[in-house]
Parts: sequence; C-alpha cells; structure tokens
Amino acid sequence: MPEPSTTRDLRLDFFRGLALIFIFVDHIPENILSYFTLEAFGFFDAAEVFIFISGFTAALVYGRRLVEKGVIYATAQVLRRAWQLYVAHVFLFVIFIAEVSYTVTTFKNPMYNEEMRVADFLDEPHVAVIQALLLQFQPTFLDILPLYILMLVIFPVVLIGMQRHPLLVLLPSVALYIVVQIFGISVPAYPEGHVWYFNPLAWQFLFVSAALLGHARTRGQTQLPFKRVLYPAAAVIFAAAFLIKLSWTIHGVWDAFPGLFLKQLWPINKNNLSPLRLVPFYALVVLVALRVPREARFLRTAAARPLLLCGQQSLEIFCLGIVLSALAHFILTEYGDGVGMQLAANAVGIAVMFLTAAMIAWYKMVDRTPVIRAAPASGRASDGIAE
Amino acid sequence: MTRRALLFFAAATIALIFGSSTARAEHDCEVPAEMLQVSVKLPHLAARLRAKEPVNIVAIGGASTTGTAAGSPDLAYPHRLQLALAKFFPDVPITVVNKGVPRQSTRQMVGRFATDVIPEDPILVVWETGISDAVRGIEVDDFTSALQAGIDEVKNRAIDILLMDMQFSRSTATVIDFERYLTALHRVADLNEVYVFPRYEMMRYWSEQNMFNFDEVAADERARLAARVYDCIGRKLAQAIKLAVQ
Repeated sequence: MPEPSTTRDLRLDFFRGLALIFIFVDHIPENILSYFTLEAFGFFDAAEVFIFISGFTAALVYGRRLVEKGVIYATAQVLRRAWQLYVAHVFLFVIFIAEVSYTVTTFKNPMYNEEMRVADFLDEPHVAVIQALLLQFQPTFLDILPLYILMLVIFPVVLIGMQRHPLLVLLPSVALYIVVQIFGISVPAYPEGHVWYFNPLAWQFLFVSAALLGHARTRGQTQLPFKRVLYPAAAVIFAAAFLIKLSWTIHGVWDAFPGLFLKQLWPINKNNLSPLRLVPFYALVVLVALRVPREARFLRTAAARPLLLCGQQSLEIFCLGIVLSALAHFILTEYGDGVGMQLAANAVGIAVMFLTAAMIAWYKMVDRTPVIRAAPASGRASDGIAE
Repeated sequence: MTRRALLFFAAATIALIFGSSTARAEHDCEVPAEMLQVSVKLPHLAARLRAKEPVNIVAIGGASTTGTAAGSPDLAYPHRLQLALAKFFPDVPITVVNKGVPRQSTRQMVGRFATDVIPEDPILVVWETGISDAVRGIEVDDFTSALQAGIDEVKNRAIDILLMDMQFSRSTATVIDFERYLTALHRVADLNEVYVFPRYEMMRYWSEQNMFNFDEVAADERARLAARVYDCIGRKLAQAIKLAVQ
C-alpha cells in the first residue's frame, strides 16, 4: 500500500468536481435537474462543499510548502493563487457587464422600464467598475470568488498560526463565527445597502476549520478521533436534515405532501452560514470520511474520471460553469424551456465542462513534461493538487 | 413555488407531446385552467359581498400597479380589476384604490401600510411585490420577514389579503434572478394560507404563446400592448377572486 501522505487524495478531486457540476446545474433557474443536487435534500448546497475542499487542500498544499521552503515562499505561492482568482473574477465581471448592457439597450418592454434597474450601475460605470475591482460590487453569481480570494489573502496568517498551535487559529475563528450568529454583523458592499452575499465573517469558519483538518492530515493524523460517538451522531443529524429538506422539496412540487418543521426552520440563512447549514454539512463530511475510503475503487473507474478532471482544474471549471449556466438560462428563456430542452442544455453544459477539464489537463501535462524528465517523477505526485 | 412547479411540469409535458409553438391561444387573456385554481378562501370579502355592502379593495404595489407603462391609471390593472368585479357582482358597489409607488422594496411597502392601506378601510388588500427586491438583490431572509410582517399586519385587522407575484418578460428574466424570490414568496404565502395570483406564470405563458410581443411593434404601439396586458391581469384576478369567495 502506498504511503498515504504522498498519494493524491482522489476523494477531494471527485467531490469538488461533483460540487462544480452542481453549481452549474443549480445556477440555471427552474432547472429540473436541480431536484437531484445537494440543494434538494441538504440544508446546505455545493457552495459549502466547494469552500470546505478549498480550505482543506489549501492547508495540504501550502502547509507542505511552508514546512519545506519557509514562510516567504509559501506566502508568495498563496498570493499568486489569490491573484489568479482575482483575474478570473474580473473576467467573469466583464462577461456580466456584456450580458446586462446588451439586454438593457435592446430592451423594448415599457412594463419593465421603471423596474428594470439591474443596470443602474451603467449610469455610473466609473464607480461600478472600480467597486468591482475592489470586490465590493458582487452581482448575482459573482459572489463566491470574492469570498475565496479574501480567504486566500488571509491564509498565510492562518498557515503560520496553525504551525504554532491549531487553537491559535481555531479560537478566533469560532469566536468570530459566534459573534456573527448572535449580532448578525454583515460586510457592506456596493451599491449602498448591499452586503457580501457570502458573509466572509461567517464563512471564514468553514474555510479555516477545513484548513485545520487539512493541517491535521499533514501532521499524520489520517483517522478521525471519537469514531464511535461521531459516526452515529453524524448519521442521525444528516438523516434528520435529509428527510426534512426532502419533505420541503416534495412539498414544493406537490402541495398535499407536508413540509416537516417548515414553519419552525424555514428560511435557513445562507449569507451568515446558519448553524443549521453548517452542522448537517459537517455530519456529511464525517460520513464521507468514514464510509468512503481513500482507496475506494469507484474513484479509479472511467466513470469517475471526468469528475476528477473537473475537480483538478477547479478554478477554470468553476468560471466556465458560471458562464455556461448564464448561457443556458438565456437559451432556455429565449428558445423554450421544455423538459427536453432543459435536459439537453444540462447535458451540453456538463459535456463542455468535462471536455474543457480534459483539455486543460492535457495542456498542463504537456507543459510539465520537460520538468518531469529533469526531475524524478515520484516525488511530485501530490504537488498537482489544485487548491 | 407549489403550484408553479406543478404547472411547470404539466406545461412541459404538454409542450413535449404537442410541440410547443403550434397551439396558439384564441383569446387574448386565455390561460390554462390550472393557473386559475384557487384553494384559499377570502372569508371577510365573501361576507361583505353576501351582505351586499360596499367593498373597498386596496391594491398596493410597484410600478406595474401604478400602470405608468400604459399611460393612464384607468388602464392599470387595479382599475381593470374594479371593472371586471363590477360585472361579476353588479349589485355591490366595489372600489379598487390604486396605491402603487414605483421602485419600492417589500420592506418599504410594509412601511406604507399604516398610512396608505389601513386608512382606506379595505376588506381586501391585493399586494403586488417582489420585483424591486429581486432587482436590487435584497437578502431573501429580509424579503421573507417583510412579507410576513405585512401579512400579519393585515390579517390581524380581519382584512383579507392576497399576493401577486412578479411580472415576467423574457429579457429581464435572463438578467434578474427571480427564482429565489418567487420560491420565497410562494412559500411564505403557503405557510400563511394566502392566495398568490400567479402573474409570473401567466405572463410567461402569454409570452410563450407570443400573445404580447413587444419586440416587433413600433414604440407608440407598446403602450397599447401594455394596457392590454394590464387588462388581462385585472380580468384574470377578478376571476380568481370570484373563485375565492364562492
């Protein structure tokens, strides 16, 4: 059996790939396939999976670089990644501007003139563009990358803190999360009155706690502690949340079916990462960690391969998914949204994501070939984990 | 989103079987029967109508309630609703008061209830809302709690209330994310047993049937087209109200 710490953990790639597909599917409004994503039966959705795996792999990748090459090297690497995300964010913003300004200037329906104010920012582009560059302007679908960028910018501090002692990082993170839950503090955004959709003061806890778990892994802790208590507790929590949310989803389609505890629990706050989202999500993490072994055979099958590839090229595929879902939405509203059309749009979109992931993987392999020849290939196996 | 989702499946199935664009509706305002199913009652209004006492209805909402696009308040949906109700209940004096103010969020409208709605002594409030919230991207939690506050304020005074959801237009639908707000609005209504007039679904149906096409007409023709849409909405809403008081 290979040494666990040096082989790539394909589960991370697989589930991140799956989360990226879910994000694409969920971003197409009224998509029939969204009844089959996490959102339909979990109190949480693919956003949690994405941020969790991002935090976990960041600790794996940069933690190792910190140990091997020191603080400055690791910090530089983290910041380079943050810069890549920033460029991707600006790219998505340009596409958003193109879409909205095109729609608004060709718009002829007077019934919406008064209320069609999504494009208000076009009245003051000099402000809007600067606000977007400052991550303060976050139109729909452009909200998760700013969170991720901010998390990476503070990550060197997290990394150094973790090396000293995990509690140095954990305690402030938990404290901040609790303060947000109690006092409902949010981070203002542009235009006035808006807030960060993913409140970084709350969502940091998911990223940081995932990083701490990743950090524990680099320290050789590959087994969960307190398995005997943790496993049944997680199973009960996840099953309860699963049944309740599923009943809501069915109730949404079929009135007569009762939505369990709907009155008491709904709505579940996403902006501030309500504990009702966080706890069942961590229950799922525990279940996956215990029930899906690293060596699980399905991870090596041909069927899993496209998802692995997507998970490995996560930034590119995430951006592509956002663009494709906007495009699919446009096509469905313009040319009819029957079930057949919807399934076709999903299938084409997912196929494009798979092919692009394969293409990027191929480019990376080609770019790397001379490097691999020069150095022994074995030691680089886990270097490729995209964070 | 209850009925919306069901309708959506039904419509999608029909579209698949018959081919979507062949069946063009004959009458301007025609909608599939499922879109006019009303399971919630309006007891206070029903009692008034039975007693043949004067009925005051307040329509509170945004720009599509004021009806600026059609050019005159007489062409806005509240007035069309009044005319249609007068035909259904000829021996009861019915007034529909228009309290539309453009570009207000749901929370801002709730702030107007005490001054604009209650003093009119209505027996039914028609609350058209959700557009500004979706356009401005207001937090869904804030939207739902504002809706709840408004519903409570009206219901506690023994006044009936019904909601009207957003307008549909193909081009806006591609740049505004309505789904979250539609789902939230329908769910709040569901939890409070309040009827939602499915304007979004109806207008989408009309759009799919190509009954009102704003793209292919001259600019001065568009106001007339808007007036026809408002008229249809007023008439359909009158039908829904009639079903809810039977």
